Amino acid sequence: MGAALDQSGAEVAPNPPTMTHRAHLALAAFPLAFLLVVLVAPALRLLLEGGQVSLWAPLQDAYLRWRLGWSFLQAAVCCVLALGLGLPAAWVLARFEFTGRTLVLRALMLPFVVPTLVAAMGVLALLGPQGLLHSWGGPDLQGGPWLLIYGNLFFNLCLVVRAATEALGQVSASRVAAARTLGATPWRVFVRIEWPAIAPWLASAMCLVFLYCACGFGLALVLGGQEYGTVEVEIYTLVAHELQLAQAGSLALWMLALTGLVALAYALIERRLAAPVRADTIARRRPQGAYQWTSLWAALAVLALFCAAPLVAIVWRAVAAGGGAWGVLGEGATLAALWNSLRFTVLAVVLATALGLAHALAARRSLLLRTLVFLPFVVSPVMVAFGLLLLYPTWTASFGLLVCAYALLAYPFVAKSIAAGLDSMPVHLVQAARTLGATPWHVFRRVTLPLLRPALRRGMAFAAATAVGEFAVTLFLSRPEWATLTTLVYEYLGRPGATNRDAALVLSCLLMGLALLAFVVIEWAAPARDKDVLIHA
Amino acid sequence: MKHSIQSLMAAAQVSLLLALGCGTAHAAELRVLTHASFALPKPLLAQFEKDAGVTLRITKAGDAGEMLNKLILTRANPVADVVFGIDNVLAAKALAAQVLEVGDSPPTKPSGGVTTVTLPAGLVPVDYGYVTLNYDKAWFAKKGLALPRSLDDLAQPAYAKLLVVQNPATSSPGNAFLLATIGAMGEDKAFAWWAQMRANSVKVAKGWSEAYYTDFSHSGGARPLVVSYASSPAAEMFYSKTKLSEPPTASLPLAGGVFRQVEGVALVKGGKERAAALQFVQFLRSAAVQQGLQTEMWMFPADAGVQRVEALRHAVEPSRHDSPSAQAIADKGALWVQRWTKVVLK
Repeated sequence: MGAALDQSGAEVAPNPPTMTHRAHLALAAFPLAFLLVVLVAPALRLLLEGGQVSLWAPLQDAYLRWRLGWSFLQAAVCCVLALGLGLPAAWVLARFEFTGRTLVLRALMLPFVVPTLVAAMGVLALLGPQGLLHSWGGPDLQGGPWLLIYGNLFFNLCLVVRAATEALGQVSASRVAAARTLGATPWRVFVRIEWPAIAPWLASAMCLVFLYCACGFGLALVLGGQEYGTVEVEIYTLVAHELQLAQAGSLALWMLALTGLVALAYALIERRLAAPVRADTIARRRPQGAYQWTSLWAALAVLALFCAAPLVAIVWRAVAAGGGAWGVLGEGATLAALWNSLRFTVLAVVLATALGLAHALAARRSLLLRTLVFLPFVVSPVMVAFGLLLLYPTWTASFGLLVCAYALLAYPFVAKSIAAGLDSMPVHLVQAARTLGATPWHVFRRVTLPLLRPALRRGMAFAAATAVGEFAVTLFLSRPEWATLTTLVYEYLGRPGATNRDAALVLSCLLMGLALLAFVVIEWAAPARDKDVLIHA
Repeated sequence: MKHSIQSLMAAAQVSLLLALGCGTAHAAELRVLTHASFALPKPLLAQFEKDAGVTLRITKAGDAGEMLNKLILTRANPVADVVFGIDNVLAAKALAAQVLEVGDSPPTKPSGGVTTVTLPAGLVPVDYGYVTLNYDKAWFAKKGLALPRSLDDLAQPAYAKLLVVQNPATSSPGNAFLLATIGAMGEDKAFAWWAQMRANSVKVAKGWSEAYYTDFSHSGGARPLVVSYASSPAAEMFYSKTKLSEPPTASLPLAGGVFRQVEGVALVKGGKERAAALQFVQFLRSAAVQQGLQTEMWMFPADAGVQRVEALRHAVEPSRHDSPSAQAIADKGALWVQRWTKVVLK
């Protein structure tokens, strides 16, 4: 089977000739059924409950118009900034070898797991009215737009950097070498060879950043105050606090339509740009000369400033709290929360991986399926949470439903990552294996899966980060016996007093340590055997 | 291969269904719905389970307002048998939505004890507290600024950018504070004051935790005045790291800025386990719980006969508090929040 042609006639990475049409349908059925049961049906149920939705009402209200406009404006600004800062940093991380490089990549995901309120406390310890910068005579940045942008970058820079680093690692070494030999400057090489190769990956990351910023509650809101609320905050207030379901429904539909367009645009770009990579990757070198060292340090400084500094501030404040505060680690409630965090994360990641793998494999030729991956990001989560309550009252606060909710929010990461991996997979390996008589299942297990492993691991790490993060925790019903570390942090921050604050900081440190451990384990450097496959292919 | 994938998926789907199904079938389970701040000493809860012969299944449903909305949404198929945390702000809404078991069946009234606070029939008062301003003592001492003596003072330029409040749309204390201002000044004057406060750069945070831990100057923010509870200074003492002789913060019960919040427990209409549910109501009014809740939830016990714990000594009960009538809250509460949003945020 040769390269498939899609309707537009462009050559796309072919479907591995391992799957029949029916196997495709069967694969797609799993994630689609899941989405239907856990997301679409509940959201529709809530819409029905709201009754008559007047679609034009949000556009007639100047305030809501402003909210819609603001949501998209700040998301766009954040995308541009994240790309501008993240791409150079990613290039450095992808091309230079240095001690601690993999650790930096793993630690980049930590902003995802820190509870928003604690992250805000970290940021304020640095840039707030009583923060470090202010005590050195600098300005107090709280209240202005600066902290808002900073907060968004804190969470989203890692998405861009991780994706771009991964993509740059797959640029063909021989093409770069040929261009250089023919006299191209490094800049020209970047523009003509590297950029086209990494563009689909960047598009994917930008799309995620955009959706996250446009739909998020996030740190930006805590730091910026209520006047910077996004439409999602408005929907949340309407549903959870005012029970104005019809109004919330019309807003949610607008958000769905607008963000859906973004997702569709992305899926189109991705399919058009998808190209199998050459298997010759560029070897990383130790930086040489002052220029390269400077660029390495500059990249690390950017990451330290935007991603690490608030985390370091949290750790520093927890340490400064003194030994007494760390006693919280031995408490029964902490151990129970630790166990809950572990099992929720493991279960959610397992389910998310199964869903993501099935979705990505099934979605290779289908634009619709590629777009649908984003559904958990574009459908208002509060609509889903309340819809679930309405649709399945007997399963309310059941363990299974909670795990499903966690997995729902985590699985697009796995699916996106694997989709990118599949798109860039060299075709001839699968063809060769088939020619040599391997069964499709054998090919999948021995060729496709090993080649996908890095992408799979990256997706799983992000899924784990989402699962231990707070998003799901705050939306769905919880029971005290299922309190996770994140819930516990918020419980402590629900009461006044220094020991409560310190306990929250210490527990956040535990959460970060645990998450870092999980990232390192999940993304353990691929064994040499896998690399051989790539290099000698 | 096709078969293996298909059977794999079938297995996954079955296991998903199994995972969803488990946790639904349990014997004698009392389902209790509460807001996120519910807390009681664990041994007490265990003792109740033993005495009543049921398993407690406590579900936290977010902020009290959010909790009530979830109850209203699921009234056809109630998700709980008992609900704790509906207060005098939400009572009328809950009763109007007919999600509570009303009626004068005697068991829903507390047996014994001296009740100081009341709630409409159907709700048994469990505890109460005061939403009021708190201030950072060190900040005011350092700046040498006199404390404001009225809400009008707060609208003066001298007190610009000093107050952080919670958004009444998303926070119970925020809403309570708004109601106090309306109760004291009347609707129009109250909103005129809020408009002045907006001009004086009042900051609006999403909820209590955000306001207290990121904006209040005592915990690293810029604002020395925050809407909190009268019991917060006592909690600051209780949870301080070193022995303090007095709390670092204090409540500031300005006229028109104090709301008394009374929280109650009620049976959910259509709920099961009626006998155990009634027992739970009595349990919350028992001396042990009335004593235990004081330092768990930082509220005053509804039963005046129960002794105050030592830790609450620093919680000064304000001498006056304001509130619109219960009927006015029920009729106009939502409109007031919308008007507030328009005046302060839009």
